[in-house]
Amino acid sequence: MGGHLTVGGDLTVTSATLTVRDLVAGYERGLPIVRGVSLEVARGEILALLGPNGAGKSTLVRAIARLVPIESGRVLLDGVDVTARPAHRLVRDGVGLVPQTENVFTHMTVEDHLALAAAAVERKERRARIAAVYELFPDLAAQRRLAAGRLSGGQRQMVALARALVPAPRVLLLDEPSAGLAPRLVEAILARLRDARALGVTIVLVEQNTRAALAVADRGCVLVEGRLRLVAAASELAGNAEVARLYLGSSEAAR
Amino acid sequence: MIGLQDVANGVMLGATIGLGAVGLTLTYSILGFANFAHGELITGGAYAALTLFWLLAATVGWGVGHFGALSFGAPFLVVLAAAMLLTAALAIGLEQALFRPLRRRGTQIVLVIASFGASLALRSLITFVWGPEPQYYTREISIAREVLPGVRVTADQLFVLALTTGLMLALHLLLTRTTLGRAMRAASENPALLALTGIDPAAVARWTCLIGGGLAAVAGVFLGLTVQVRPLLGFELLLPLFAAVILGGVGSVYGALAGSLVIGLAEALSVPLVGAEYRAAVAFVVLLAVLVIRPAGIAGGRE
Repeated sequence: MGGHLTVGGDLTVTSATLTVRDLVAGYERGLPIVRGVSLEVARGEILALLGPNGAGKSTLVRAIARLVPIESGRVLLDGVDVTARPAHRLVRDGVGLVPQTENVFTHMTVEDHLALAAAAVERKERRARIAAVYELFPDLAAQRRLAAGRLSGGQRQMVALARALVPAPRVLLLDEPSAGLAPRLVEAILARLRDARALGVTIVLVEQNTRAALAVADRGCVLVEGRLRLVAAASELAGNAEVARLYLGSSEAAR
Repeated sequence: MIGLQDVANGVMLGATIGLGAVGLTLTYSILGFANFAHGELITGGAYAALTLFWLLAATVGWGVGHFGALSFGAPFLVVLAAAMLLTAALAIGLEQALFRPLRRRGTQIVLVIASFGASLALRSLITFVWGPEPQYYTREISIAREVLPGVRVTADQLFVLALTTGLMLALHLLLTRTTLGRAMRAASENPALLALTGIDPAAVARWTCLIGGGLAAVAGVFLGLTVQVRPLLGFELLLPLFAAVILGGVGSVYGALAGSLVIGLAEALSVPLVGAEYRAAVAFVVLLAVLVIRPAGIAGGRE
């Protein structure tokens, strides 16, 4: 994987602060999975969202992106309340989400994915945006005519990330981008995230792979049963075996 | 005996079925349910054109006109375009008022039953307003000419075939070359991911209704032109439509076209073998055979 900040000119963003206040959300009304979460992610910061299976990490980022109904609470982007905006509007406002699964259209080519995402940008900027994203993901440029369904898991993850970067999001939400990938690919994904942060993107990273997440994040927070239990600097969390044992499960602590 | 004439008839029938089946397969895969009211969109298109002909005759004195060997002229094209728009509006209206609210809460079966209800209601309304008797756009007769040895077709039929081919080519370009086309393909696979790409899935659904309704209107007007206008026009085509869609694999536009040709040919070729009385059953037999042997369709494999 090559391609670094040389392409920054086309993708640099005005970063934004993401604020979540008392968020309650779930797929069914009256059965909240996220039970009152408040957090603030600073401009250009990477926040790792950790916690055991079923803690509500995915639901939280999907609720912020408006894929999961919000029962109460607010989401603010640079202080502007965006809670009522539908998912497709939020993308145009600068919030991108890379879902964990089903994050590509299997019957569509890599090129189709980027072209579709570019529809959210000004017409005259579309070409430059797509070119800039290809520079960041040179492997994808070679496979632009392949259907995403024929790509490997790691390549699909790259397509999903590239697709989300086309409209130059100010806030990027990633739901377990390393799930099921080989360590080498995890490293490649994390390297792209560092690139994105260098461009000014504010990032929320949901991860089961605690060590990898804390290696790239500035701060980490631990979600348990839909509530935030702990927020601390990534370095502090990484060195705290007790925290890992208590909140992330003993198998995670051993890693 | 099966002759070339039967093959020609089958291709003509297949083209008309294709116009309906392509719209049905698009709405099936993008709106996410089998829309039984699609037949009434075909009927609606035929009656919209009939009414427009009356209005044109009563106000500006335009007849259906005729051009060359065709049994109609320029006014027909104007009426066809207007009928497409009116039927598209009906399709979007159904989506907005009925299907969209139900899709938010209900399951697929609720939508299917609702579309069945809409189908019955529209058919009754059409019978109430226009009466049950068959009607005609024109009393002109399009004379069949021999285009190949033993094959006679009318100029009207050739026009239908040419326009259908043109519309399908336009649809192909739309689906492969435009943002709307990409969005439609994306919506058929994963509407939530489409929203995450910054495109409103509800808007794509409306465009799909517009295209499906417009194509259904063309099928209805063609049937009105080459056969007659009746309240059961579209409903009787529903079975061949579904047979063609399932044959081609739900969601596949080219599959639906191929399926339509197979159904059209099967119906037309069965006439000399089993008699015209049973031709309608042929689509049903083909449908059942496909469901048993290849449930995902001939070109299937998706899902």
